[in-house]
Amino acid sequence: MKDKRIFSLLMTILILSSLIAACGPTPTPQVIKETVVVEVEKEVEVTKVVEKEKEVVVTATPEPEAEAETILIGGFGPLSAPGAYQGGIEMRNATEMALDEINEAGGVLGKEVELIFGDTEGLPERGTAVTERLITQNKVVALTGEYHSGVALTEMEVAHKYGVPVVFAEPWADDVTAKGYPEIFRVAPSIEFYSSIASNYIAANGWEKIVFVTEDTDYGRLQGEGWVKQLGALGITDVELIYADPATEDFTPILQRIAQDPPDMLGGVITGIGNSRMVRQACELGLAPTAETAYYATTDSQYPEFWETVGDCGQYTFFTYVGLPKSLWNEKTEAFMANYEERYGQVPGGVAMEAYDATYLLLTAIEQAGSTEPEAIIEALENIELTGVLGELWFEYGSHNPVPSDKPAWMWHQWLTPNVFILQYTEVDQSVDEAAVVFPVERATGPLYTSP
Amino acid sequence: MEYFLSLCTTGLIMGVIYALMALGLTLIFSILGVINFAHGEFYMLGGYASYFILSTFTGLHPLLAVPLAGLIAAVIGLVFELAFLRPIHQERIERPAEYAILITFGLSFFLMNLALAVFGPYPHSPPSFFRGSVRLGFMNVSADRLTASVLSLILLAVLLVVVNRTWVGKALRAVSQDKQAAAVVGINPLAMNTIAFALGVGLAAMAGALLASSFLLSPDVGAVPSIRSYVIIVLGGMGSIQGSILGGVLIGLVESLAAGYFPDPSRALNYKTAFGLVIFALVLLFRPRGFFGRKEA
Repeated sequence: MKDKRIFSLLMTILILSSLIAACGPTPTPQVIKETVVVEVEKEVEVTKVVEKEKEVVVTATPEPEAEAETILIGGFGPLSAPGAYQGGIEMRNATEMALDEINEAGGVLGKEVELIFGDTEGLPERGTAVTERLITQNKVVALTGEYHSGVALTEMEVAHKYGVPVVFAEPWADDVTAKGYPEIFRVAPSIEFYSSIASNYIAANGWEKIVFVTEDTDYGRLQGEGWVKQLGALGITDVELIYADPATEDFTPILQRIAQDPPDMLGGVITGIGNSRMVRQACELGLAPTAETAYYATTDSQYPEFWETVGDCGQYTFFTYVGLPKSLWNEKTEAFMANYEERYGQVPGGVAMEAYDATYLLLTAIEQAGSTEPEAIIEALENIELTGVLGELWFEYGSHNPVPSDKPAWMWHQWLTPNVFILQYTEVDQSVDEAAVVFPVERATGPLYTSP
Repeated sequence: MEYFLSLCTTGLIMGVIYALMALGLTLIFSILGVINFAHGEFYMLGGYASYFILSTFTGLHPLLAVPLAGLIAAVIGLVFELAFLRPIHQERIERPAEYAILITFGLSFFLMNLALAVFGPYPHSPPSFFRGSVRLGFMNVSADRLTASVLSLILLAVLLVVVNRTWVGKALRAVSQDKQAAAVVGINPLAMNTIAFALGVGLAAMAGALLASSFLLSPDVGAVPSIRSYVIIVLGGMGSIQGSILGGVLIGLVESLAAGYFPDPSRALNYKTAFGLVIFALVLLFRPRGFFGRKEA
């Protein structure tokens, strides 16, 4: 009797669910014969995807945004391990801050803008899944964010498949823009541009024997290979790359090996906690920074926690900073830095600046396009000119102005003047604002290199 | 020769600390029969507890935070064991093996995300025990790391005395060998389970507190040590205290020497962990029970 009641209840729920689903605005996909799935709406845009086994999946992309109360923007980035979640969280914070400011000022196209941020965990497969969900389930009109190049390279394929515009904030791989996808824009530097700053700095110092301990990820490998190539072109051929798992706790054995024949410069290209571990362990071993061996750390050295974790060992280290040093701040940068610190209790890094500007670029483009149609947003982005916290932002090359054959392909939809500097801590407990800008020379605020 | 000796010194220093970390895991496994998948997170918790204590009571010497961190973790472990693991041994759980895996995994995720929420994503470090380096003949050794190693040795010695010479230690060993026989002679196996779990996670937390100033803190800092601990306890023989100590020291030495001598320096550091696993596989091939593993009855 009891079983019968439960069965009746389940059947009732099932029938009611079916009725509700049938009457709802978005019908559930219906499987027709083999693998043909059709969604039907009043206005239908059809995309065909041919799978390996010649299965044809037909989906309909409805146009809910045309009558929606809000405009949905997708964000992605690493918010948990194994990704570099420090960067991801900062990126999400800055994006949310930009959105709140825009909403307070009346929104975009008279509508409120909402952010749905997906955690990619720094994993390419998660990046694919998150992007697929944001586009097909959440129906976002455009995307922004991402920290890891390897993840961005998979996300951009999904965005390209659906024709959804993306303004990437931080991935550096040349291929992100070099593929020339119409939907893909970037405010972060390309790896070639980024590496060239450190390469030229090394050459300017006259260092000849270089060792990089670099993390065994797309981030570390791309940089390492970039340096070998660029330093070679500058006549510096004694460059050794040592790969390390970014989660490595103890670098001492390899540092002891390096100490057998100390280089002129030791680079620790490990993100997150690994950066501080390397600095500290190289210093405690007496290897670097010393009068004989300079020490190059990662961009993570910009955070205040750097000093808490490395203590005196941080003095004389130098690092590449992607962002705007205080000496070059504009009014927007000053307001952004103050508001971010007030809101999140943390001094923002360059990642936050990039994410903030990427969000403004995207939403300004939607406003200027007067529509959330992808083609209109892309056209607006190609013609945009915006003063952001990083400076004047625009995209030199695109369908409106193709990349000349003598220029690298990554210049497509790339902001061409990202701020990349070499900073050096000359005193213990210096903030990033107080650190000396040592390169490029024309914008330097201190000597080329201060030796211990 | 100096290079070889310096690598051995580094390996031994690390090995002793690895042993301390693994010891807690083996203690829990030998008594409760449960693999604690949250062991790495108790290591992390110990580090953060030390950081929190020293940030709050700024006049306290960093060494005093180590036992306090162990105590905090032990109390959390005690509550967790009573609430979630005791039902296994009271036969109130239908599928105890799967439940134990899921519940300790759940605790692992909870603690990691709790640390992320409370302490944020940026790396932290409690103050050093002693600043700078110590010159050991031919090499510089971090004063913090040396302190951690010496304290680990002391803790290992104390633990061996407790396990071999005290009533509680003997009761723990009795329960690990035969729960029913132990109960017959008046030992409460459930109480021993709770003591073992609290002690095990307390040891992990003390290892975390000892290494926090050397290896620093982030919410996911427990992942690598926990994997290494699983390798060490299997290598030493599941449930064997002596085996865990020997396994820890061996892994420490192998990792250090492999990174120092692997022919291709670009891969040396990356394969460091893999060399430990090669030794692990070789030992299991010739001695499947590990160094000191007991034969199944």
